[in-house]
Amino acid sequence: MENNTVDILLIHDNMNDAELTLRALRKGNINYSFTHLKNGVEGLEFLFGTGKFEGRNTSNKPKVILLDLKMQKVDGLQVLTQIKASELTKSIPVVVLTSSKEHPDIDRAYALGANSYIVKPVEFNEFSAVVADLGIYWLLKDQTRV
Amino acid sequence: MDKREKSNELFIANKELAFQNEEKLKRAAELAIANKELVFQNTEKEKRAAELIIANKELVFQNEEKEKRAAELLIANKELLFQKEEKKKRTFEIVHANKEVDELEKRVKERTEDLESFSYSVSHDLRAPLRAINGYANILDEDYGTLLDAEGKRLLGKVRSNAKKMGMLIDDLLTFSRLGRKGISMLSVDINELTETVLSEINQTTTHHAEIKFSNLLPAIGDYNLLQHVFTNLLSNAIKYSSKKEKPVIQIKSERKNGMLIYAISDNGVGFNMQYVHKLFGVFQRLHSDEEFSGTGVGLAIVHRIIKNHDGKVWGQGKEDQGATFFFSLPDRDLKNRNSVIQ
Repeated sequence: MENNTVDILLIHDNMNDAELTLRALRKGNINYSFTHLKNGVEGLEFLFGTGKFEGRNTSNKPKVILLDLKMQKVDGLQVLTQIKASELTKSIPVVVLTSSKEHPDIDRAYALGANSYIVKPVEFNEFSAVVADLGIYWLLKDQTRV
Repeated sequence: MDKREKSNELFIANKELAFQNEEKLKRAAELAIANKELVFQNTEKEKRAAELIIANKELVFQNEEKEKRAAELLIANKELLFQKEEKKKRTFEIVHANKEVDELEKRVKERTEDLESFSYSVSHDLRAPLRAINGYANILDEDYGTLLDAEGKRLLGKVRSNAKKMGMLIDDLLTFSRLGRKGISMLSVDINELTETVLSEINQTTTHHAEIKFSNLLPAIGDYNLLQHVFTNLLSNAIKYSSKKEKPVIQIKSERKNGMLIYAISDNGVGFNMQYVHKLFGVFQRLHSDEEFSGTGVGLAIVHRIIKNHDGKVWGQGKEDQGATFFFSLPDRDLKNRNSVIQ
């Protein structure tokens, strides 16, 4: 799986949220492949082919990254900083996931180069719709550019 | 001796006598002058004496006055000393009070920071499990709904609607707590335009059949976003609580009164009993059950806080089954003099 195409990369350390997000994505985008990484460290290792993902073909880049902001140890902003600081990964669109649209982290995420943000609502249907739409938006945007 | 000699002697004696008489007269005249002088001097002396007596009396009086003044000065001095000491005490007290204020400010700041991190964890940590409850209940419905009978589906629906409700409560509570910290930017706000915007937003999320009347509403000076919040809340309420009427009518009016702008939003809905009017603006206070009209009980508390932060007032009037009117007032500020931006 490590060298397979990954269309959407989800970096999220809450397993419930991750499962629900993946379900929402799969529901609308059957033809795309999804990968879930359980924390910021794994996410970075995957993108840069280090640690657990040593030897992965890093030119095989995800088309869009869904990144949760609040994670243990290495949080979303730190992951975002590294993604945007590297020539290898900085062109990948990043959509950040957050609990509140009022959160100051959203501004910081934009300043660091995030492309969009999704507020995770309590209502699942709403969430599914937003995730699916935004996921597709960035996938399509990427394809038209290529 | 002979006659001649005798007459000669007499002549001389006479001359002598005449001379002596003259001298006597001279002396007498001199004495008279001297007497007059004496009398004059005596009078002068008496005058002087009288003057001296007066002067003495004056001196005595002045002495008494001096003593009095001295006594008064003594008292004044004591008073000054006392005041000096009081000042010292006051200064000490002020320094002490200032320290206390600093300490309090520090504690308030700490508390605010605590509250902020609390809000953060409320928004983040409490919502995550709610999302999971709602999400998994939804999956259960989607994937296994066919295995559930009507009652099973109803129960599942209850789980979901309550999770959603709690999410709304958390959101409203967060909005409410944030309002206390946000600064207000004072700008001229076209209330007609704002009402149009609010209504079109409400129409996107709510289906209703209320007739909403307003025209030529007075412009206000305030924070656009916060005032939008106020109108959204009051209009949504008016729509909600009149939704069971056959012909719901909502009116928005404005007027200038005693240096204030007063806006009124009235409906012909279920109204409320004035007995409970004091509960209207409390957090989590509701006058209707969720079964009758859904809601979190935070909306009017938010309105109250926003208007209070704008130096205005909010109040309600109603009668059961005969509609309600909510008023709020804003200072009729002149935009040119709006240097005082409220923080």
